[in-house]
Amino acid sequence: MIEAQGLVKVYGNKPAVQGVSFTVQPGRVTGFLGPNGAGKSTTMRMIMGLDRPTSGDVLVNGKHYAKHRAPLREVGALLDAKAVHTSRTAYNHLRAMAATHSIPTKRVHDVIELTGLGAVAKKRVGGFSLGMGQRLGIAAALLGDPQTIILDEPVNGLDPEGVLWVRNLVKALAAEGRTVFLSSHLMSEMSLTADHLIVIGRGRIIADAPIQDILNNRAQRVRVRTDRPDVLTRALAGEGVSVEAREPELLEVSGVAARAIAETALAQQVLVYELTPLQASREEAYMDLTKDEVEYHSGPLADVHDHAGTAESGRHAAVAAGVSQEGN
Amino acid sequence: MSAATLTPQTGRVTGPGVSFPRTLNSEWIKFTTLRSTWVLLATTVLVMVGIGLLGGWGIASGMEQMEAAGQDPAAAGMDSSLLYLMTSGGLDFGQLIIGSLGVLLIASEYSTGMIRSTMTAVPSRLSPLFAKALVVAVVAAVVGILSSFITYFLLQPVLANYGREFGLDVENLIQSMLLSGVYLAVVALMGLALGSLLRNSAGGIVSLVVLLLVLPIVAQIIPFDWVQDGVMPYLPSNAGRQMVMLETADGDLTQWQGGLVMAAWAAVLLAGAAVTTKARDV
Repeated sequence: MIEAQGLVKVYGNKPAVQGVSFTVQPGRVTGFLGPNGAGKSTTMRMIMGLDRPTSGDVLVNGKHYAKHRAPLREVGALLDAKAVHTSRTAYNHLRAMAATHSIPTKRVHDVIELTGLGAVAKKRVGGFSLGMGQRLGIAAALLGDPQTIILDEPVNGLDPEGVLWVRNLVKALAAEGRTVFLSSHLMSEMSLTADHLIVIGRGRIIADAPIQDILNNRAQRVRVRTDRPDVLTRALAGEGVSVEAREPELLEVSGVAARAIAETALAQQVLVYELTPLQASREEAYMDLTKDEVEYHSGPLADVHDHAGTAESGRHAAVAAGVSQEGN
Repeated sequence: MSAATLTPQTGRVTGPGVSFPRTLNSEWIKFTTLRSTWVLLATTVLVMVGIGLLGGWGIASGMEQMEAAGQDPAAAGMDSSLLYLMTSGGLDFGQLIIGSLGVLLIASEYSTGMIRSTMTAVPSRLSPLFAKALVVAVVAAVVGILSSFITYFLLQPVLANYGREFGLDVENLIQSMLLSGVYLAVVALMGLALGSLLRNSAGGIVSLVVLLLVLPIVAQIIPFDWVQDGVMPYLPSNAGRQMVMLETADGDLTQWQGGLVMAAWAAVLLAGAAVTTKARDV
């Protein structure tokens, strides 16, 4: 169980986390989703007592992390994969960590086997790939067999087999009644792993709900092809309705069901030659949530081409963008 | 804390918790499982013994030459007491290596990110710092004492060629050899404190060199009396040198005073390191 109350962290003048409150319940996998720089890692560092909150408070298993008698047995955390001295072997790193709580050497061997590090355990960590570093970080997090597990971007750098392994591991840990809190910037990963989602953007909580609610909560969109888009647009206008002109005869309508659009078109005597309800992808649901909250916006490709030179290439890019939209 | 006083939520957790002896054990494992530790320690012994032997040999042969030329070596400041000091003659160089070891012990944790693992395992923060201090101080002392005794025993056959060998019963000799270990321990603590304050290996080592070597030289060339009398003797390496003397001149700091002044430097730096370790984000 993790309880955050009004957490604020300001680095210099730059606010990283701006009043975040949430509760992470045991027995399920809670995803912490947000774009890069949204404040995920900072929040996790505050949970672990590494960063002092500018204001607010956060408790793990009912206490401040640092107040626990046996912190490694309460909470296991992977905060960044290479929080390890590069010149030490994986085995010795884990042995030193274990020694602080008199965790027996057998448990060190167990977590090495569990995380598949057996072959490289006696090698120096400096030569590890990102994926092996992640596995070592997870091994360290599991060392104390903790009730609460916090993993920051655990699948970063893992191969597909490793990603699947982490997914199954966290689900199994949650099924045992443990609190599992893991961050990611990938909605696709979260939708496969998490039961509950806390979405953060620019240091604020945007959503805190079961993952199905977040996926379903998105306004239904309908793609409409018509030879008189201007008339139809005017006729559809109303509260909660948005109509975007994608191409000269292509509209994307949200807030109105496909049948209602057809009825409006019939009433207006407008020819409609395509009417397709669009299934919101998980990434779209996420992009919708965070579109105003991302710190680093990528410019559209078309802009880049325009700046680069000819109108010709700009037109190509626009067409390409249109094509990718249809992929919805 | 007994299990009965734990809240129900944490009552589930069984097994030993964090304690200072366990933190000390962890820091000892960390200290001994880095190759650089052993390289630096072996280098310290080699350099200190080598310089002590070379120094002793040079002084003894110099004295012989002067006597052969009919001069009194004592008039040039070369007498047996100088030979005695050669048992810890490598201290000036040895202190730089041991001091660097102290800096690296903590600064490398900050540069690699290891410190976050350390502070997560032992969130009280000061325990790991003090455990490191204990480990590095004891090891530095052992290395210093070991180097002095190795130097002493290897030096005797060399000096015997000049008929200038001496026994361990020379007044204050053993005390000086033991205190050279203390000198290195204090330098290691200063290094550890600087490494912790600056969180940077290069910066820590440079500031240690400034403190131990550059400041005494700068102070020496400033001609004001208050610098010569009020600052010079109290610089850490100058005060420390008084500590390992077999005898101190009237008006200079005594062995005790020198040792206390040097220890005060380390204490102030360590206190600063403790405060910043507690206060700053990791």
